[in-house]
Order: sequence, then C-alpha cells, then structure tokens
Amino acid sequence: MADVALGKALPADRSALLRWLRDYGVYGGVVALLLFNIAFTDHFVSSENFRTQAIQVAPILIVALGMALAIGSEGVDLSVGSVMALSTSLLSLYLGYGIWVALLVVIVGGAAVGLVNGSLIAFIGVQPIVATLALMVGARGLALVLLPQLKDVRDPGMATLGSGDLAGVPYVVYIAAGLALAVGFTVRRTTFGRQLLAIGDSRPAAQLAGLPVRRVLITVYVLSGVLAAIAGFLATARLSASDPTALGDLMELSAITAVVVGGTPLTGGRVRIGGTVAGAVLIQLLTATLIKHDLPPSWTQIAQAVVIVLAVYVARERGKR
Amino acid sequence: MKPQARNASIRTLLAVGLATSLALTAGCAKSEDDASEDKGSDSAQKSEQNGQEVAEGGSTETCTAEKYGAEKLDLKGATVGFSQSEKEANPFRIAETASIKAEAKKRGVKLLAANAQSKFSKQISDVQDLIAKGADLLVIAPLNSDGWEPVLKSAAAKKIPIVTIDRKINATPCKDYVSFIASDFTEQGKRAADQMIEATGGKGEIAILLGTPGNNVTTERTKGFTDQLKAKAPELKVVFKQTGEFARGKGQSVTEQLIQSEPGIKGIYAENDEMGLGAVTALKGAGKSAGDVKIVTVDGTKSAVQGVVDKWIHGVVESNPRFGPLAFQTLDTFTKGEEVRQELIIKDGAYTGANAEADLGKAY
Repeated sequence: MADVALGKALPADRSALLRWLRDYGVYGGVVALLLFNIAFTDHFVSSENFRTQAIQVAPILIVALGMALAIGSEGVDLSVGSVMALSTSLLSLYLGYGIWVALLVVIVGGAAVGLVNGSLIAFIGVQPIVATLALMVGARGLALVLLPQLKDVRDPGMATLGSGDLAGVPYVVYIAAGLALAVGFTVRRTTFGRQLLAIGDSRPAAQLAGLPVRRVLITVYVLSGVLAAIAGFLATARLSASDPTALGDLMELSAITAVVVGGTPLTGGRVRIGGTVAGAVLIQLLTATLIKHDLPPSWTQIAQAVVIVLAVYVARERGKR
Repeated sequence: MKPQARNASIRTLLAVGLATSLALTAGCAKSEDDASEDKGSDSAQKSEQNGQEVAEGGSTETCTAEKYGAEKLDLKGATVGFSQSEKEANPFRIAETASIKAEAKKRGVKLLAANAQSKFSKQISDVQDLIAKGADLLVIAPLNSDGWEPVLKSAAAKKIPIVTIDRKINATPCKDYVSFIASDFTEQGKRAADQMIEATGGKGEIAILLGTPGNNVTTERTKGFTDQLKAKAPELKVVFKQTGEFARGKGQSVTEQLIQSEPGIKGIYAENDEMGLGAVTALKGAGKSAGDVKIVTVDGTKSAVQGVVDKWIHGVVESNPRFGPLAFQTLDTFTKGEEVRQELIIKDGAYTGANAEADLGKAY
C-alpha cells in the first residue's frame, strides 16, 4: 500500500517506462478518469455520487482481494461469481435463524467451495483454471437447486447493512476497506504471505525448501471462497433480494481484471493489494463513466474488452522480463 | 509418495463430503417466509380461466387437419408432449409450464413434459424423445426460432401436429407446424409508452432500462415504446438508454448511476419487472418517495403488481404466460378436423393504480 510513489523520477528508457506504467499506471488511470468526469460529467462532484460509486465497487473489491491471493500463488479462482450466488441462496434459506447464523452459514459455504478447489489443486494436481471452472459450474448449479428463483429479503438488519452508514460512510465501505487492510497485512507481514509468494514464484523450489505448499494453497482458495461469500452477502443486502441466477455473473472477469490491471502478474510471486484496490476502482469508474454518458451498452462491453486486453498486454510484458 | 497420495484422496473426499453435507443441511434451512411460496402457484392456477382471450392482429390464414395431413383424433385420451425452453427459474416460465400442466389435467389429457434448461441441443433431443415416447401432439416453447429441421422431419414422418407458443419457429405454417400462439412484444412496448405518456403528461425526460442486448424481446419492446413516443408524445425525450440485462441487481446499479447524473428524470421504462423493481430499490436508497419518478414495467409478476399497489410503480403491462387454455383449445379444434388460425396472439392485461389491488391475484 506504500505503492503510491508518483513522485518518483520519471524513467528514462522505454523498458523502464513500461515497468513504471505497469506498477503505477493503474493510479494514473484512476486519476485520469476522475479528472475527465469532474470536467465533463454533470453532477459528478457530489457526496451522493461518490457514495454510489463506493457502494457499487465494494463487492468487486472484496472478490478481487481473494483473486489477488489466488493469482499471486500462480493460480486463478474462476468460481468466485458462483460462490456469490451460492452465498445468496444459503443466506435466503437460513435468514430465518437471524442474520448472524445466516452469515456463518454463508462463510462456511464459501470456505467449503474453497476447500474443494484447494484440495483439487494441491492434492490431485488439477490445474487451477480447470478445478475452479468445475466449481464455477457446480456452485452455480447448487445455488439454483437451493433457491430456484429470486426471493425478496425483508430482514431489517440486512437493509441496514445494505444501505446504512456510519458518519456518512456506508457500512459496506468500512467492511471492504477493513478486508483490504487485513489481506494487505497478511501478504506483507505474515509467514503465510511470504510462503504464498514463494510458491507463486516457483512451486518446485518452494517444495524443495520444505514449505507447506499444500496447506498454503488450500488456505489461499479457502480465503478466496470466504471473501467471495462475504461479497455475495453484502450484494444481497444491497439488493434486498436473493437472485442466484444473476448475482455474481461475470464477477470472475471483473475481479481478474482488477487484479491484473492493478499490477499483480499472472505469473505469480507478487501480490499488489493497493494496485488491486485501484484496479477495482478503475473498473467501477469506467463503467460509471460510460453509463453516465449514456453510451450504447455495446460500447461498454467493448471498453471493458479493451481494458482486459491492456491488462493481458501488461502481464505479457512482465512475463518476458 | 504412495501413502501421501492416499492421504490426498482421503482429504479430497473429506472436502467433497463437507460440501455435500452442506448441501444436505439445506434441508433444515429456515427462510424468512416459507409460507408465502405456495400462494403464488395457487393463484397462478386460479387465474387460468382468465387467459383464454385472443388479441386482434396476426395472420388470419387457417389450417385444418386435412390440409396438414394429420389424422383426426379425440384429444381426450391423446398424449401431448410439451417442450419448455428455459429452466423454470423465472415467474414467466413457471407460470407458463404451470398453465400447460393445469390445462392438460383439466382436460384429462396425458402430458409428457421436458425442459431444455436453455440448451438448444437438449431441446431438439427432448422433442425427439417426446415423439419416441408416443406423443400424438406437440406443444413447443422454442428456445430459438431456427434450427428445427431435424425435429420437424421426424414429426412430419409421423404426422404429428405441432403448436408453438411465445416464440415462433422459422418454418412453413400448416406444413411444418399447425399454428403459433404469440406474445406481441412490440404491442407491449406501445402500451407501456401509453402508460408513460399518461403518467408524465407527455412532457419531460425519461430513461429506458433495456433488456439483454441482442434479444428479440428487448428489440421489440424498445421499438414499440420509442415508435409510440414519436407518434404520440414527441416532447417526451428519452435521454438515457442502458441495459439492465433483465436482472434486478443490474437494474438497480444502472438506476443508481442514472439518478446521480440525471436528477431531473421524470420516468423510467423498464423492459421487464425485475429491472423495474431494481430501479425501485435504487430510488428508495436515494431517499426518493413513491411516485417521484414514474416507473412503467412489462411482465405482470406478483412483486411488480404489489409495487403498483404500493405506488412505487406507476403501471405494469402484462406479458401473459398462460398459454395453456389457448394451446389446448387450438389442438382440440384442430384434431376434430375443424379450422384453426395459423397465428394467434395472446391477450395481455395491464395493471395500474385503478385495478392493481383488485387484480393482484391475477399476477404471476
């Protein structure tokens, strides 16, 4: 999170410029979009507007945090969107026992999906993209078996969580910020974080060095599952409804984009939490800008595609280094 | 490595077992209001009787069993195969299937039902299965309009009459299929425009929440709405047109952006109820009161009509899913050897402040 070093001397040659762009480009993108909107978007500078953007970005950010861990371990978690759906189904089924029981069940559900993901990857040696793809299909299916169609959520506690605030800042923003700090701390300051990066750098080397590779990998996917489940819980609170068909649809794509745009290489070994936060904000601002200027929906899709291509391009450059 | 590998598979089994047990514990789940679930399907069946009427329009050409080359038979005692296109995961599909099943039961017809789960290849094999299982007649809710040749061939070989509902098959009527019972999505858009004009006085700025891009329902509901605005209320300007992908969550996010950037917006036309309900959630979250922004939606689901009763939604144009009575009526007439129309359009109702409370039971 000490990444914000825009004041660094501008690099001289091309490769250094590219590296600088890779590491700090996402902050530049956020600043540029903010400036553009301040200049050209009506009613952009208002507390209501910033509040809206902050509330909308929270679930993307929370999912992206888990995705950053998975990508840092040289994996990926495609099941996050479906875990959100599973979480909303479980929430709807267990809300009768109260909000805390429902939250507990939702977290256990997310952890269970993560445990299966992690076991497939760590013990059976299934490629992360394949293992989590299987769970992406399976968890969505399970979500729809548990709750076949949208159901309203009327619990007042959920309504408060979804739209309430403390000192003008929505609860969900505190939760997202808290989780970002916690994940950032875990990556930088804990043994688990260092082991995760070592495994992402080179799994054989980590194995030779005697690191608990399997335990770390399973923990990574459990954390990713739990974070996605929490995101699903918050998204349900905001919508006041459980919609297992649509909730979390294409979320894996947004999360991967946020992580990669934020400067975490797909090749593993590095995790940039500050960049991931900025990446999620960038995606949110981009979507908001296109919607506010009422560009045709197809343009929005194209713009998102361009961002993804840019992200992949950046990742490729890094891979060559 | 051996013992470790065994250890590994045991742990994986444990993990899978945990997930399964989680699924099983759903058995002791306790949701907020389990009781209200059943009421919906009850009233869907009760209102069957209301779905009989046919709207004006459509082709007036007719078809008979003789022209089609089918043999006359008694519908009672016949076997009807029903192929549903999408998972019964939304109110429209649930009500549509329920309506077909209820009508079959009422008429004492044996019904074989299949659901393609939104996969076209499955629908093709579903229909072929239904034919193989001995269906004398077919009712199909097609997922696609094209790609039906293999099925039509096997049906033609056995001279099985086909009625398609809600979506058309691109083939020759009275040769490849008997008749098509349609929803008129363009007309629904037009009627939504009429409600919007009435609600806003025909002046001001409004927004459209579009359905999924590239979907024919989206295209037609948009065309009907904008054409009618052009013709009847040129001073009502559409200043915002974004997709909510027919989903409540997306409708909410888009509306949140809309009310920030266009605070003067007078009305929102949502191309389905779900997006309209998402818009309501967004307006509530922004501290607006019921009726501040006039919302008009299309479909007629229970939640949206309740929204009309609560004054958050100005009006709902119905898209009638109760094809059962009309489909079986058509098959009955046809199998008796009498004339049936090649194209029928199902009549849609409407819900406004005047009738929403009284007609809430009719909503699906």
